[in-house]
Amino acid sequence: MIRPERLKELSLAAILVLTVLLFSLLVEDYISGRIFNRVTTSVVITAILAAAQTLVILTRNVDLSVGSIVGVTAYVTGDYLVGHPDTPALVAVGLAVLLGCGLGVVNGVLVAYGRVPAIVVTLGTLAIYRSWLIDHYGGRTITTDSLPPWVVEFPGRTLVSLGDLDLRAVFVIVVVIVALLQLALGRLRWGRRLYAIGSNPEAAVQAGLPRQRLVFGAFAASGALSGLAGFLFLSRFGTITVVAGQGLELDSVAAAVVGGVSILGGAGTLLGAFLGALLIDVLDQSLVRVEQVSEFWRNAILGTLILVAVVGDVTLGRWFRRRLSAQARPETAEVAQSTTVAVVGDA
Amino acid sequence: MPEALRTRTWELLLAAVLVATVVYNATQSPVYLDVDNFVNLFHLSIEKVIVAIAMTFVIVNGEIDLSVASVMAFAAAVLASLHEGGAVPFAVAIVIALAAATGAGLLQGFIVAKTGLPSLVVTLAGLIAFRGAARVLVEDRSVGDFPDWFRSLGRDEILGPLPFAVILFFVGLVVGGIVLHRSTFGRVVYVIGDNPEVARYSGIDVARVKLTLFGLSGFVAGVAGVLFAARLGSVRANIAEGFELDIITMVLLGGVSIFGGSGSLLGVALSIFVVLNIRNGLGLANVEASVQTGVIGALLILSVLAQNLVDRALALSQHLQDKRGTT
Amino acid sequence: MEGGAERSAQGDAPDAVVALQGVSKRFGATHALADVSLELHRGEVHALVGENGAGKSTLIKLIAGLHQPDDGSIVVDGNRTAIHGAADAQRLGIAVIAQEPLIFPDLSVAENIFIGHRDQPRIVRWRKLYREAGALLDRLDVHLDPRVPASGLPVAAQQAIEIAKAISLDVRVLVMDEPTASLSAHEVDRLFRQVRDLQATGVSVLFVSHRLEEVLEIADTITVLRDGRHISTRPRDDVGEASLIADMVGRPTSELFARGEHEPGPVLLQAQGLGRTGRFADVSFEVRRGEVLGLAGLVGAGRTDIALALFGIAPAETGRILLDGHPVRIDRPRRALELGIAYVSEDRRQLGLSLPQSVTANVTLPALRTYASRLGLVDRAAERRAAELFRDRLDIRSRSLGQAVALLSGGNQQKTMLAKWLNTEPRLLILDEPTRGIDVGTKVEVHRLIDELARSGMAIVLISSDLPEVLAMSDRVLVMREGRPMGVFTRAEATEERIMTAAVGVA
Repeated sequence: MIRPERLKELSLAAILVLTVLLFSLLVEDYISGRIFNRVTTSVVITAILAAAQTLVILTRNVDLSVGSIVGVTAYVTGDYLVGHPDTPALVAVGLAVLLGCGLGVVNGVLVAYGRVPAIVVTLGTLAIYRSWLIDHYGGRTITTDSLPPWVVEFPGRTLVSLGDLDLRAVFVIVVVIVALLQLALGRLRWGRRLYAIGSNPEAAVQAGLPRQRLVFGAFAASGALSGLAGFLFLSRFGTITVVAGQGLELDSVAAAVVGGVSILGGAGTLLGAFLGALLIDVLDQSLVRVEQVSEFWRNAILGTLILVAVVGDVTLGRWFRRRLSAQARPETAEVAQSTTVAVVGDA
Repeated sequence: MPEALRTRTWELLLAAVLVATVVYNATQSPVYLDVDNFVNLFHLSIEKVIVAIAMTFVIVNGEIDLSVASVMAFAAAVLASLHEGGAVPFAVAIVIALAAATGAGLLQGFIVAKTGLPSLVVTLAGLIAFRGAARVLVEDRSVGDFPDWFRSLGRDEILGPLPFAVILFFVGLVVGGIVLHRSTFGRVVYVIGDNPEVARYSGIDVARVKLTLFGLSGFVAGVAGVLFAARLGSVRANIAEGFELDIITMVLLGGVSIFGGSGSLLGVALSIFVVLNIRNGLGLANVEASVQTGVIGALLILSVLAQNLVDRALALSQHLQDKRGTT
Repeated sequence: MEGGAERSAQGDAPDAVVALQGVSKRFGATHALADVSLELHRGEVHALVGENGAGKSTLIKLIAGLHQPDDGSIVVDGNRTAIHGAADAQRLGIAVIAQEPLIFPDLSVAENIFIGHRDQPRIVRWRKLYREAGALLDRLDVHLDPRVPASGLPVAAQQAIEIAKAISLDVRVLVMDEPTASLSAHEVDRLFRQVRDLQATGVSVLFVSHRLEEVLEIADTITVLRDGRHISTRPRDDVGEASLIADMVGRPTSELFARGEHEPGPVLLQAQGLGRTGRFADVSFEVRRGEVLGLAGLVGAGRTDIALALFGIAPAETGRILLDGHPVRIDRPRRALELGIAYVSEDRRQLGLSLPQSVTANVTLPALRTYASRLGLVDRAAERRAAELFRDRLDIRSRSLGQAVALLSGGNQQKTMLAKWLNTEPRLLILDEPTRGIDVGTKVEVHRLIDELARSGMAIVLISSDLPEVLAMSDRVLVMREGRPMGVFTRAEATEERIMTAAVGVA
């Protein structure tokens, strides 16, 4: 028996493979170390954000402020590092994560306890955080030169090279984090409860689950992960301005949704979201290489992808669930019989 | 009369806040009470406020349209690229741009009505997709070179000190108010927003109303986009980025419940002036536009928090009344 | 009228695991329960029987801790206890299996079973979870893969999950609310085996059901409630179907509106062989102009489903409907309205009225088009006139017609709903529980109105669980049972016993 999530993940992986194959036909020298390296380097930020967004979407909410949190944490951390170049790496990362968590906590309090819908809260904090960043730092840019070298070199660090393929440290770390989170969601009581409150909020309350605390936790975690993504952003781009991270929230939702996370909550996996992020990044990187398609198609295709994914999830998902449940029922035949008799009965 | 009471109370509060903001701004800056400054209030936001009228209908109906800013850009991009292409007369290009925007709205509305998916996610996808469509059309260039009459329409004063767009706004406000509060369609919009099942059981074609509203939202966004193009004189793919924040804030601050079924266009009109005044005042105080956005964001959250509080207060007083009634 | 149950001294109920003593519960003006006493003993299967509105579900909610009694007390293990909510109930070993089990569709069966447990470990041990879930399901003789997601499972499986959940929580008192409503015969047998197994381990089972033959099969003790009052509690061997029915319906005939004589007109609507999978089948009847056709039966019998089919909300899949001899397809409410069919829903707050809207707005809603001027604007004067007309005719009491319906009393809300549908000038008016939850005075007014409408030639279908009402108002009564028509009684033939027997009795 195969669980629906595994099925979704497998089909995503299959689509990924097919996409790569498709592009290998359209683009010369497509399958090479270069594309692998490009994708693994660029996907890390979106992958973390996709994980963050998944946690929130599972509870039937959404977090549109992740882009601004990335911006704030990237910039603040960068600014701090410029002033304190001897900061140990862990402290620097910790700063970003903690700051992100704090920003996420604001969201969590308003949504879980203030009973303000997530769309309103995160639309508001998206603006507030970004606005604070611009106001506080003005037009100043953080430049690569002013940052401690280890920060900027970090994305380039390779753990091991297999011919052309460079396995970057960043990529491995992100994969490990996603895997750990996936494990947590699958094995920790906390994780299962997140699914429960998204799956059936009323039943969750009836069953005595601490719904407010769980939603609060999801937003705090989302903020923390966004803070981490902020650090990665800083490290990748080095030279950043106060508009850092703008628009990333849309990518995170796209990755999650394409990755099979149901927008209605309660279904979907982090692995799926990761695969979704990969798929989108592959498309991003590859479309650039295809002659006929201009880079400007990126957003149009992304938006269409989300629509297809979401509509498909609703229609196919319903069909799938019915099929799976039919397999689990040995009494189907009998039930069907009794109803047929009822309908066909004497005139 | 809890619903109407809440709405009237909110309108009064807004009127008071409006008066307070005007007074404050007047004391802070000598130019504030100039007629020119009044027109200037709208100058930077006229397209937003026009869309806010349509957004009111959508939110009262219990839905939301996050794609409006992108559809604005999309319509402007269609116009600009058609004009650049030179294949069609400019007036026809305008019609096509408006049709495209309406189509964008109808497409999203169709998906919402038929699949029952939350409009949040459908219009979020639309936000991305139609911005993308704008990018495909004008790429990273600035496209313009519009006819003079068009540019004049966007900038110059037509009726006294009022440019065309401002006149359109006021006309739209009046027409919108009549339709929302006085027509059968408007009433149906409210009923569906309050409880779509009751509407259905009363013989109302809920799907058709939703489709119409999203189409309307698209159309109005298209009009705003075209006007924006006229005012700017040229179109880039990233115009109107982030406009949905202001627009939604204006509506929610106007006392319209995010859950649908309540609120008034008068409230939205008042809140529009409050928001415009705030932006104007901040601008005169040399506060950056981007910082102003943060203030708007805070307003958005506060308006819903305040609505929650008012609701809880009203419920509590009702509960107390009931208790007193039964003893 | 006390039955065989011993009235225990306050706070002292020997042998009883849970006892309700003189419990009363009011909702506004309605007495859902009045001075009810009941005892549940270890290892006893205690059936609770009564018609709709008898108070069964209120009683269950009291035991489950969802409500607190206004009077009287609940005694658990000899101690007077207050049960405030699901957590308390769980602690006391009380589990309730609702008619509609609350399931997490995206979680697996095993998780559904164990999700609410207070002492679930922080780290989920999947193999153990699946194993224990599997063991529980095996014990219940249910062959269900615990790894399967719970969505789309049939009711029998969902119930099994709830029972498994209860067992895993060491339930001592298991309350089952109409558990056999959606089960096949085979599944019912299995459920009864499960109940007997539980009984053998000392669990008390409170079994609420209207299927008397099943009650007589499984129960040790049977309690009958009527109109919120305790009527009798007797051991199984002392009762039979007839005596149960007599307890359920016997009541002093009260002052009910008596309809005078009149002759119904020609047939307006004919239903032939209507069916809808899982809801009703084989339904044929006719309604004549000026006639009141009562639709009796218990909740779940399919009466509202038939109404929804006639009104176009949930059309029938088989069979046909003829109006004045012509076949019609009613696929949506607007079509029904065009044909002159109106449906007054039983749920006035969720389906019947738009609560924040005014009385006037509600009254004119389905016919709104007729109040539109050329420009599509609402003719406020015209709609106010219409509202005033109905206010006078139906005596709707409200501070003003512009007042929100939410503020009206239940009776006036009901009248507003009636006004709303009468305003569409229907030929066929379907009333679904029109006097539920309203005061006696308004009830009489509604009955008078129904009589008037019938005299004026309107065809009326009256769905009601209030037997005296059905008998007093109907010219003929169609009794439904589990989606199938059991027979039509004329006014002369109809008695409460006969109707109830058809509604619940052994076929």
